[in-house]
Amino acid sequence: MGVESGAIPVKAGRMGSLVSKARAWYSGVPLLGWLLGVLVAVALEHILGRRVARALGMSKEPVLFGFVTMLRDPALLPSAVLYVLLIYLLPIAAVARLTAQLTNRLAATLLSLSSGVSSAVHLGLIYGALHLWSDLSDYRLLLVRLTLIAIMVTLSLNLVNGYMGEFSCSHPGFMALGAYTASVFTVILFVDDRVFGAPLLALPPLLGQFVFPIALILGGVVAALGALLVAVPSFRTRGDYLAIVSLAFMFIVKSLIENLEIVGGPRGLQGQPDWANLPTVFLWAVACIWIINNFVRSTLGKALNAVRDGEMAANAMTVDTRRTKMVAFLFAAFWAGVAGGLFAHVLRYVNPGTFDLKKLAEVLAMVYLGGLNSVMGSIVGAVGFNLLSEALRPLQIIKWMIIPVLLILVMIFRPTGLIAFREFDVQELIRPKGEPQQH
Amino acid sequence: MIFFQNLVNALQLGSFYALIALGYSMVYGVLMLFNFAHGDVFMVGAYIGFLVSTGLLTLANLGAVALPTWLILALTIILAMFLTSFVGMLVERVGYRPLRGAPRASAAISGLMIGIFLETFVLWLGGPKRRSFPALIESTTYELGGVIVTNKKIVIVLVSMLLMLALHLFVRRTKWGMAMRAMAYDYVVVPLMGVPLNTIAALTFGLGSALAAAAGVFFGIAYPVLDPYMGIRYGWKAFVAAILGGRGSVLGAALAGFMLGFIEIFVAWIFPSTWRDLIAYSIILLILTLRPHGFFGEPYSAQLRL
Amino acid sequence: MPSLQVEGMTHYFGGLRAVHGYDLRVEPGQIRGLIGPNGAGKTTIFNLVTGRYTPTEGRITLEGEEITGLEPHKIASKGLGRTYQNLRLWRHMTVLEHVKLARYSKIGYGLVGAFFGTSRRHREEAEIEERANTLLELVGARHFADQVVTSLPYGAQRRVELARALATEPKILLLDEPTAGMNLEELVQMMDIVRRIHDELGLAIFLIEHRMKIVMELCDVIQTLVFGQVIAEGTPNEIQRNPAVIDAYLGKDVVT
Ligand SMILES: Nc1ncnc2c1ncn2[C@@H]1O[C@H](COP(=O)(O)OP(=O)(O)OP(=O)(O)O)[C@@H](O)[C@H]1O
Ligand SMILES: [Mg+2]
Repeated sequence: MGVESGAIPVKAGRMGSLVSKARAWYSGVPLLGWLLGVLVAVALEHILGRRVARALGMSKEPVLFGFVTMLRDPALLPSAVLYVLLIYLLPIAAVARLTAQLTNRLAATLLSLSSGVSSAVHLGLIYGALHLWSDLSDYRLLLVRLTLIAIMVTLSLNLVNGYMGEFSCSHPGFMALGAYTASVFTVILFVDDRVFGAPLLALPPLLGQFVFPIALILGGVVAALGALLVAVPSFRTRGDYLAIVSLAFMFIVKSLIENLEIVGGPRGLQGQPDWANLPTVFLWAVACIWIINNFVRSTLGKALNAVRDGEMAANAMTVDTRRTKMVAFLFAAFWAGVAGGLFAHVLRYVNPGTFDLKKLAEVLAMVYLGGLNSVMGSIVGAVGFNLLSEALRPLQIIKWMIIPVLLILVMIFRPTGLIAFREFDVQELIRPKGEPQQH
Repeated sequence: MIFFQNLVNALQLGSFYALIALGYSMVYGVLMLFNFAHGDVFMVGAYIGFLVSTGLLTLANLGAVALPTWLILALTIILAMFLTSFVGMLVERVGYRPLRGAPRASAAISGLMIGIFLETFVLWLGGPKRRSFPALIESTTYELGGVIVTNKKIVIVLVSMLLMLALHLFVRRTKWGMAMRAMAYDYVVVPLMGVPLNTIAALTFGLGSALAAAAGVFFGIAYPVLDPYMGIRYGWKAFVAAILGGRGSVLGAALAGFMLGFIEIFVAWIFPSTWRDLIAYSIILLILTLRPHGFFGEPYSAQLRL
Repeated sequence: MPSLQVEGMTHYFGGLRAVHGYDLRVEPGQIRGLIGPNGAGKTTIFNLVTGRYTPTEGRITLEGEEITGLEPHKIASKGLGRTYQNLRLWRHMTVLEHVKLARYSKIGYGLVGAFFGTSRRHREEAEIEERANTLLELVGARHFADQVVTSLPYGAQRRVELARALATEPKILLLDEPTAGMNLEELVQMMDIVRRIHDELGLAIFLIEHRMKIVMELCDVIQTLVFGQVIAEGTPNEIQRNPAVIDAYLGKDVVT
């Protein structure tokens, strides 16, 4: 047995193409190694990015992997590609490969401590990378936070549309409920506001961080209560009923808020305290993914799949299908509400117009792009959609012709989405890769 | 008197909704699909009507052909319906046919995306500017006991009803209509019986789109401005109305469309007009809660899922 | 006390009287058969007993406890397991997940456990899995536990359905044509399994079957249903000789 795990890659390389060679070369790199690579790359950008960008003829580091730069000024295409290669791809590739042995051993050690510790370390690395990356521009910081929120929304809708196989359209409505509830809570209590007057509780700003979860949970609960209004009539009958009722509900919520002058009507509500910083949003997104993933992998959660694939049989196998549907729907609405609360505090402004059909189309697009019945699918769908949407921004309205076409193609070739029906197994993700070291 | 005035207005608004709702309802009834692109097909129909009528008027003004206005109106309606039916069939061909056999929700998403595409396409071609629809009917106003009725309204409501009647007869009396209804009854068996599913699907989309185009032209005549977002503004409400009418029921969809028109006009009369959507949707929700299968719908089969 | 007792059950589908004045008494540990021509109402009786439909008239008791009109999942968790004539498996789920899910009503960890992955949940899930594996072993389906059901051959799917029904811990098991559509090999295997679960688990079994040989071999008592009414009830021998049964159902040449 070779000390280098390169023994196998060499053999594969002799027969296979360059791609399979590269793949074999990297098959022994654990997630930890990749994350380390990303962290190094992002740190590199922090130190050298500006200088490299200038050297390549750009005024500053490309904000989104060169896509925006390329589309704005096609002449800069080579520079942008070179930049991405130098700052991201090469360092990541090099670090991941060179440290493979080290990171494998580390991953094994961490895992032997406990999978909780190992997960925490991985999350720490992810957070570190996101933090450094978004530190370079406000735009990136905003994008990262909105994308994390989008993951929450997508995943929670996947619970209903993917795992449970219903078709719900009310997620923008639930987000709106959460956004407004959380905003009203924080603005009344803690902000000197024109509409609601002096804060009821004058707290030192530091304490706000501790009150914020209450506001978000409150938003989630109100959204879940709204969901009850949809669920009670919808789950009595079957078929497409939920689709229609939830759609009507979405319009009702929007219209209701527009008519509530106390929260600003169509003009919206602003002045939310600046509490939804990156760590806060990150933690909530992680909590959301973790809890939902726990749920869908438990036998109680599998009941959702049984309801989707055969409600009658599920009922005859002791599954309380009505309760199952209710719980899942309210639970999904809760997370949409929390996400809405975060959304309002990231933008520090909400208006009812945000939560309309466009939002619905976006959320549905993310769910079905990423893949039904899949946590990883929702993450990929949300991240992919947001990156794509931002990358194509320089094209202005043409973007909204390209994105639909892409989605139609995805639907035609992968009707249930890119990564559908896959379990999200954290243990599997974080385990060391390659051959076990015997030395 | 104001009541009757509102009634007249409601009839006109209801005609638009009913014509659009029919398209949703037919696709839903025959193919069990949500055609989320239909609202935008209505918008495209209105724009096609705009192009056709502007073109014809220019020709007439140049003196190239002698066209009386009534003929231009008739030609606009017919040509817009004809051309838009191809748009509808294209929507089916591109967005729905490749997805036959896929989960119905995927087809719905595909339709939604086609809708966005159409909207953007029109926006891109024509710009965000509102277009004013040429006046094809010399406006004349009649006063009947204090109620003001324009000849436009009379034409719109009458022709709409005629079109609905024609559709009803088509579905009930002709071979193709029968095939469509058979399909609505049993999606799986009919293709086996030798009725070509693709033809029926195309026919269903084409007919629905033609009616939507008529609605679009009438809309242009009534409120002579068009914008790329009119499709989503009116289409989604018509969609909900279509479901309210009952699965695949022509009569139900038409009735629900008129009802929606009435609710909207009368809400705006009694309450501040900003409450219109709120109350209209609440009423729809209430009716659906009491009558889950709509006015004329059959109970959904338990097997059907998106 | 009988395992399952039905008294005077009648059911109408609109104007159609599908079941009429049906009585049944299944003793613990008994294997009961129900035969009858197509459309006689056999499956409807199962659907009535399991709570899918509420009978227009009549009373159903399970070990002395009345279950008429209860929701299907409540009836199932009181100890009534069933399989379907046309398989009703969950097409995206694995074999193991099927069997585990049938223990739904016995799960004690609740939503807190499901959301936060408490140690109680891990313990219970492990128990459920162990139990599920035992049942899969019993029906000979252990080796494809991790496969999605739709990838299995038909006979295997039927056995998965059986294991799933067993996982609900029934006191009485209702089998609706357990060998329908099976080839000879699968059929023999199935009969073997039915016998084994009867012997090992001591269950009462109530089965619908079209293949006479199987009914005659397995059952202690057989009912014959025609147009929703029982026209004969007795041991296999009695049924085979009953002229009314021969006339209405078996046909002259079947009894050999
Ligand atoms: N849900 C229903 N609605 C209306 N009629 C029904 C329904 N279910 C069954 N029937 C009718 O009730 C009668 C009995 O049906 P059932 O399925 O119980 O027959 P069966 O004895 O199981 O026949 P088979 O041997 O073919 O399985 C049939 O005439 C059938 O058409
Ligand atoms: Mg049967």
